[in-house]
Amino acid sequence: MSNDSYTRHIPPFSDVLSELPPQFPDETETDVVVIGAGPNGLLAAAYLTAAGLDVTVVERRFEIGGGLATEEILFPGHYANTHASYHYMVDYLPPLTDFDMAGQGLRYHKPYGQIGGVFGEDYVYLCKSFEDSRDALARFGIDQADAYGRMATRFHQIVDEILAPATYLPPDPPVDLTQALQRTAIGQDMLEVSEMSALELISSYGMRDSIQATLLYSACQWGLSPIESGVGFMVPLMVDRGTQKAFIQGGSHRLASSFARVILRQGGLILDNAAVVEITTDGDSATGVVLDDGRKIRTRKAVLSTLDPQSTFLRLLPAEAVPAEVRDAADGWVWDKWSLLSVFFVTKGKPQWKPNPNNGMIGLPTPFDTILGFDDTEDVTSFFDSIEKGEIPKFAGHFTVETEFDPTLSQVEGEDVCFFQMPAPYDWDWDGRGDEVVREVTALLDSHYEGFAESVIDCVVETPKTIEQRIPCMRRGSIKHGDYNPLQMGFNRPSVECSSSRTPVNGLYLGGASMFPGGMVIGGPGYIAAQVICEDIEVKFPFDRPDRLKRYLDTYFPDGKD
Amino acid sequence: MSQTTAPAVDPTTGQRLDKRSSYDFVVVGGGPNGLGIAAYLSKWGFSVCLVEARPELGGGADNAEPIPGCSIDPHAVYFYGAAGPPLEQLDLASYGFRMSFIPNYGGCITHDHRAFFGGNTFHDSSSRDPEVYVEMLGVDRDTAKMYLEFMDALRPRMRDFFRSIYWTPPYDESWGIPKAQTPVARVLRDCLPMYDDAMLDMSFNEMMDALALPDPVRAGLLLGSWGNGPHPYWKGMALPGFACTQLQFFSGCTPVGGMHALAHALARCALANGAKIFVNSPVSEIIVHDGVAKGVRVADESLLEEKTIWANMGVINNTHVKSLPKLVSSDHLTKTFRQRIADLSLKGGSLYVANFIVNELPEYSDAPERYEGSNYPSGMALHCTTDALMELMRDVHTYRMHPTDLDHYIAWYIVHAPHDPTRNRSNLPGGVVTVNLQVPAPEDHKDGPLAVNDAKYEILDNLKQVLRHYAPNMTEDKYIKSVINTPYDSEQRNMGFVGGNWMGMRQSEDEWWARKPLPELARYRTPVEGLYLCHQTSYPGGLCLSAVPYNLMHILKEDYSEIEATTPEWWYPSPWHLTDAEGARGRSSLSTGGDG
Ligand SMILES: Cc1cc2nc3c(=O)[nH]c(=O)nc-3n(C[C@H](O)[C@H](O)[C@H](O)COP(=O)(O)OP(=O)(O)OC[C@H]3O[C@@H](n4cnc5c(N)ncnc54)[C@H](O)[C@@H]3O)c2cc1C
Ligand SMILES: Cc1cc2nc3c(=O)[nH]c(=O)nc-3n(C[C@H](O)[C@H](O)[C@H](O)COP(=O)(O)OP(=O)(O)OC[C@H]3O[C@@H](n4cnc5c(N)ncnc54)[C@H](O)[C@@H]3O)c2cc1C
Repeated sequence: MSNDSYTRHIPPFSDVLSELPPQFPDETETDVVVIGAGPNGLLAAAYLTAAGLDVTVVERRFEIGGGLATEEILFPGHYANTHASYHYMVDYLPPLTDFDMAGQGLRYHKPYGQIGGVFGEDYVYLCKSFEDSRDALARFGIDQADAYGRMATRFHQIVDEILAPATYLPPDPPVDLTQALQRTAIGQDMLEVSEMSALELISSYGMRDSIQATLLYSACQWGLSPIESGVGFMVPLMVDRGTQKAFIQGGSHRLASSFARVILRQGGLILDNAAVVEITTDGDSATGVVLDDGRKIRTRKAVLSTLDPQSTFLRLLPAEAVPAEVRDAADGWVWDKWSLLSVFFVTKGKPQWKPNPNNGMIGLPTPFDTILGFDDTEDVTSFFDSIEKGEIPKFAGHFTVETEFDPTLSQVEGEDVCFFQMPAPYDWDWDGRGDEVVREVTALLDSHYEGFAESVIDCVVETPKTIEQRIPCMRRGSIKHGDYNPLQMGFNRPSVECSSSRTPVNGLYLGGASMFPGGMVIGGPGYIAAQVICEDIEVKFPFDRPDRLKRYLDTYFPDGKD
Repeated sequence: MSQTTAPAVDPTTGQRLDKRSSYDFVVVGGGPNGLGIAAYLSKWGFSVCLVEARPELGGGADNAEPIPGCSIDPHAVYFYGAAGPPLEQLDLASYGFRMSFIPNYGGCITHDHRAFFGGNTFHDSSSRDPEVYVEMLGVDRDTAKMYLEFMDALRPRMRDFFRSIYWTPPYDESWGIPKAQTPVARVLRDCLPMYDDAMLDMSFNEMMDALALPDPVRAGLLLGSWGNGPHPYWKGMALPGFACTQLQFFSGCTPVGGMHALAHALARCALANGAKIFVNSPVSEIIVHDGVAKGVRVADESLLEEKTIWANMGVINNTHVKSLPKLVSSDHLTKTFRQRIADLSLKGGSLYVANFIVNELPEYSDAPERYEGSNYPSGMALHCTTDALMELMRDVHTYRMHPTDLDHYIAWYIVHAPHDPTRNRSNLPGGVVTVNLQVPAPEDHKDGPLAVNDAKYEILDNLKQVLRHYAPNMTEDKYIKSVINTPYDSEQRNMGFVGGNWMGMRQSEDEWWARKPLPELARYRTPVEGLYLCHQTSYPGGLCLSAVPYNLMHILKEDYSEIEATTPEWWYPSPWHLTDAEGARGRSSLSTGGDG
């Protein structure tokens, strides 16, 4: 259907109302347009409005949030976090302390039990408390608990001192970074870790296979190859943060709506149902955007795109405005290795774990996610390998009973919401084999949860294709807008020209998951973009850097960064 | 621009850093009327806290996306408020609210394929030729001329007609102002040569008799009245019935992006003006001290650490009037009053709502060719004659209707896609179209409320059969997904839709104007000082017109000198409004109330 079907007709209406009710103007002007209201776009807009700028956020969907979606896909009466549910960075996200987010209704809950790994007869249980995890593992031998302790301590130091602060600062060229990290033992550790693959790193601690398998799955589930080296620093991050995940009360969308409240209060404007079809330019400068209904928004200062590089550089910008090397880089952009399959269920009552006196599970609080369906480390490794090749060797993945942590997701008493999720290839016969997916996943869950199959009331399958349909910048279901591999990480993400938010197009900035440091709800790209934009247009960034960032800079870059 | 404030609570630990929350006003419920009053009061300059029970704001102004890229309207579908002051006063457009005006609101096809397709000409003042109407309405030349004259006379005063009926606070029954002196009667007497006070006592069906309109146009209008206001056979409701059908033609539109976009605009207006809005926070009690409303208590399951929210000036209730006795302790409401509330009738507004996601537009075999493109009919009453509709209503009201009885599938088929491309964001080949269907149903069923839920799939199949009968291209392979909410589901989804009643409670003469919902509550005040009603169970009833909050502002201005004293320049009252003092002076004061 074409754009002109936005009939602004004013048929019989006009002779009835002497004046038409006001309509949103066809052309407006603002300091900054933010394209995309995902976590990064919203976070950036919160900072930019706080800096006193006039900001318009434009979102294609009928709801803001991007990956922060809590919607009634289990219609009627049941909500699900269609995309992100696990919040990895709540201990570090600067806006949580800079803005009054709780005052807008935001509440996190970090479940006591974080990860359950079911491998053969073993049940690996990891908690948010490091010591409690060690206690739980001591069942397999004190040496096991000790090995885990060594690993977890090291990983945590790397995250806390380096990776977490670096998430919120523009990236450094590899040579500079290597030099900087040489300054401390932890830095050297991190350099060493980076060269290893996930499998090498995790197995280097000599832990029991079931523990390794649990950790390997947790490290790789969001799109890291177990055997690829060069992005090993992701392992400490995913493992350490994987035991510190939080759930948002009322659903992940609350984070988006809390940002929206902050933005509106600070004078920003949010437009939904508004897809950008063009970034306008004048010479080599971005001047605004055009929306799908023909409306134009001109920018006085900046356009911030949180979309993937192909959308930004190949579709929205006119070809002549983009330098060849940036076009080439966008053209060669590699999408995520795999996407996700999620199966959401409504059940009568919460799924109950089948008691198994051998695995010591009895009496422990339900973990946030439980890894099911794998045999051992080798199985996990070959599973990821097959998925990457576009095959589904079996249905295995992680499972979360959402209403255990947030009863508000079900509006119907006695009915609960849970979901199963697993890495999945984009190219698969999703339409033809939908029934098989439900059957297999239900059978898997039924084998671990008492009477599960019988308790199912409703079920919705979200495939890599539906991810792309809901959010087109997650092309091929790329939940991070692009693969994690050495050529697309760090200073290279999305390309050396654009990884610090600035682009060769004047006034155009990047700030989404395809930019350094990457995807997930970590807020790094948005935070960096806001800092860089403030710097370039010479307004004061409205908040002091968090102390952790200052310490990192003092330690590793005592002479300053350029 | 307001300053950023330091965190009051740490969102990760829940540790509280502030002391006590108090606001000028607390609003209970975030439906369109609750959001509307929050927007008015905060824009006026008062601090407002709104608490909503559900995970989403918007009440009946809601959208969901059961399959990617295709949103459905579980409840409200059209925005009819274009003629009212709130759109302008709250400047909703500046918060992104957009309307797509619909040239062809639609028509009606009877079971024997007599078809009426309204279209552009139906209400277009430029087509003066009675012959056009002879053909379109299926009437003789004299009737066509009468109809034209009637509309010609009314058209210039259409906005006044709407505002006199919807955007004016009802009078107090005790003032003794006769029906013939109500604002709507005054406007019509003034402009319509054929106006007669007898119209005030008619049913809408009788008014159709008076205008000599036959089926199918008549059946279409009657269903329009049923779907947007009073039942066409309820006495004394001719003008409200007629008004709501005209809202469709002269004040209606498809909100771009769906009805939830209206909720967003209202919420953003409130938020931009400093209001606080919390979801997932059901109010369990409205706190009353010494007969005065002081605040609310939110239920334990709420996320808020602070379970009590204090109101320095007033509490505004956007929940169903029937929940008042649950929220206010019995110490403050008399037994008689509670009983009177319990006795209020819910009859006559419950709907099955089905949403079919299909991959092409229904092509009505009875449609003349010219109804294509943006002139595609937005809503079609199918299977509908006056007699069949009357029979259906009888059965609905006597709870006899069986949910799977095919004769009862008189339905209103609504398609937004041609008027709002945002509804088709799917990348499925050929795109998607949502066909929204609303069928009158009993609010309860003789076999229990779940009887309807058990028959869901049968109901869906029957509705598909009906659609296919009139649009033969709608074969089974066109359906991508079908969802339905029964009256029971609607109530589960939204505590405001008690009994699944789309308008909260019925719009009949005994519960209308000065008697809605009860005479002592008609002016939005309650027996508790500082507690006001702002829900569709108050006048003028259901529809997302923001009329309830606009009307309530008149009353608040009277009750609070702080509000009166700070009246902003953007505010203008209804010209027919009478203050208590004016009203108490009775009929004589009518001369001081303007006539528009
Ligand atoms: C199934 C699934 C599960 C996930 N689980 C987790 C998890 O548990 N934890 C976690 O941290 N992360 C998770 N993620 C990843 C996370 O959601 C994303 O990495 C994150 O949302 C990226 O944020 P962003 O702001 O960069 O982009 P997005 O969230 O993708 O937001 C981009 C926005 O831009 C909009 N847009 C696109 N095109 C246009 C246009 N032309 N004009 C205007 N707007 C446009 C989109 O609609 C979208 O709202 C998950 C993702 C998926 C799909
Ligand atoms: C099927 C259907 C079709 C409709 N079609 C149209 C249409 O086309 N056009 C139109 O204009 N209107 C339509 N309507 C009517 C419209 O939706 C309602 O008139 C409108 O939503 C009423 O608004 P409200 O704010 O008064 O109440 P509601 O929308 O009911 O909102 C009340 C809010 O209060 C909340 N609440 C209840 N109890 C509590 C508590 N204890 N604490 C906190 N919050 C609470 C509820 O959750 C709800 O969000 C339709 C309705 C239905 C059901």
